[in-house]
Amino acid sequence: MRSQSILVLLLAALVPAGARAHEVLHDVDRGRAVAVRVYESDGEVLANAPFEVFSPSAPGAAYLAGRTDRAGWLAFVPDAPGPWRVKVVEATGHGLDTTIDVARSGATTQAGTPAAGSAGFVLRPLLGAAVIAAVFAGLVLLARRRSANR
Amino acid sequence: MHVPDGFVSPQITLPALAVSAPLWAWAARRHFGRSAADSLPVVGALTAVAFVVQSIMIPLPGGTSTHLLGVTLLALLHGPLVAFVCESLVLVVQALFFGAGGFTVLGVNALAMGLLGPLAGWLVYLAARRLSGRAAAFLAAWVAVQVSSLAVALVLGLQHRLSADYFPTPLPVTLAAMMIPSLAVTGPAEGLYTLFALSVLRRAKIREAL
Repeated sequence: MRSQSILVLLLAALVPAGARAHEVLHDVDRGRAVAVRVYESDGEVLANAPFEVFSPSAPGAAYLAGRTDRAGWLAFVPDAPGPWRVKVVEATGHGLDTTIDVARSGATTQAGTPAAGSAGFVLRPLLGAAVIAAVFAGLVLLARRRSANR
Repeated sequence: MHVPDGFVSPQITLPALAVSAPLWAWAARRHFGRSAADSLPVVGALTAVAFVVQSIMIPLPGGTSTHLLGVTLLALLHGPLVAFVCESLVLVVQALFFGAGGFTVLGVNALAMGLLGPLAGWLVYLAARRLSGRAAAFLAAWVAVQVSSLAVALVLGLQHRLSADYFPTPLPVTLAAMMIPSLAVTGPAEGLYTLFALSVLRRAKIREAL
C-alpha cells in the first residue's frame, strides 16, 4: 500500500514536467535573418507574392515557402553559408530568381541581379534609352562609312 | 510581361534560342544594312521610346502591374522583323544593365513580345487599314498585346506541365492573370500609345508615318 502511494505521488509529480514539455518558448536574435524586398522597376512592391527560398545545403527542395508581406518583404534565417536562391513567382510571370551569398560570418551579398537605388527608377529609363541611342548611332555611322567606301 | 531567368527550363529556352538566332541574323542583314542608314535614326528613337514605355508600370487591382510593348509601332512602320530585332535589343539592355528578364529566356521573350505580337498586329493592320487607318492601328496594337500575352502565358503553362519546379502556377491561373489585364488595360493602352505616337510622327513629317 505504501509503495503504491509513493508511485502515485511520483506520477503526480511528473505531470507538470509533461505539461512543461509542451510549452512553446522563443528567442529573439537580432541580425540573423536575411530580409529581401522585391519590387518592380518603377518601385511598385510585389505584395503578397508567392516565394520560395532554397538552401545551398539542399537545393532540390524549398527551405522556406510563403508570401511576401504587404511591403514586398520576405525573410529567412540561413542555417548554412553559401549561395541561397530566392525565387518570387507571380501568376503573371513577373517575378525574380536571384542568389544571395551568405558568408560564414552571416554577412550577405547579392549575386547576379544589380540592385536599383531609389534614383534608379528615374535613371533607368534614361540610361536604357541612352544605351540604345548609342547603339543606333554606331549603326548609322557604320552604314554611312560603308556607303562612302563604295 | 516578359519572363525572368529561372522560370523556364532549357527544354523551352534552347529551342526558342535556336529559332531566334537565325531570325536575328536574317533580319539584321535585311533591315539594318547599308540601305537602312536613312531610317536608322527614326528606328533607334522609337526603340529607345519602347524601352522607356516598357519601364513604366501600370498598376492593376490585386497588387500586380503591367506595361506596354511599344514595338507594335515599329512593326506598322518598318515591318515585324524590325520590331523583332529592336525588341530583342531592348531585352538585351534590360538584362545586361538592369538584371530584368535575362539571357537564358531571351529567345522566349523576343519571340513572344518582339515577333509573334508585332507580326499579328502588322497582319491586322494590313487587313484593316483600308477601312480606317486609325482604327486599324489601334486594333493592330491591341491584337499585338493579346498575342504576346497569350504566347507568354502558354509558354509558362507548358513549363508548368513539364516541371512545376520552374513555374509553380498552372495554366488556367496564368491565363486569367495575364489575359484579363491584357484585354482590358494593356491592349487599349497600347492602342492609344500607338495612335498618339503615329500622330506625333505625322506632325513631325516622318516619311514612314505619312
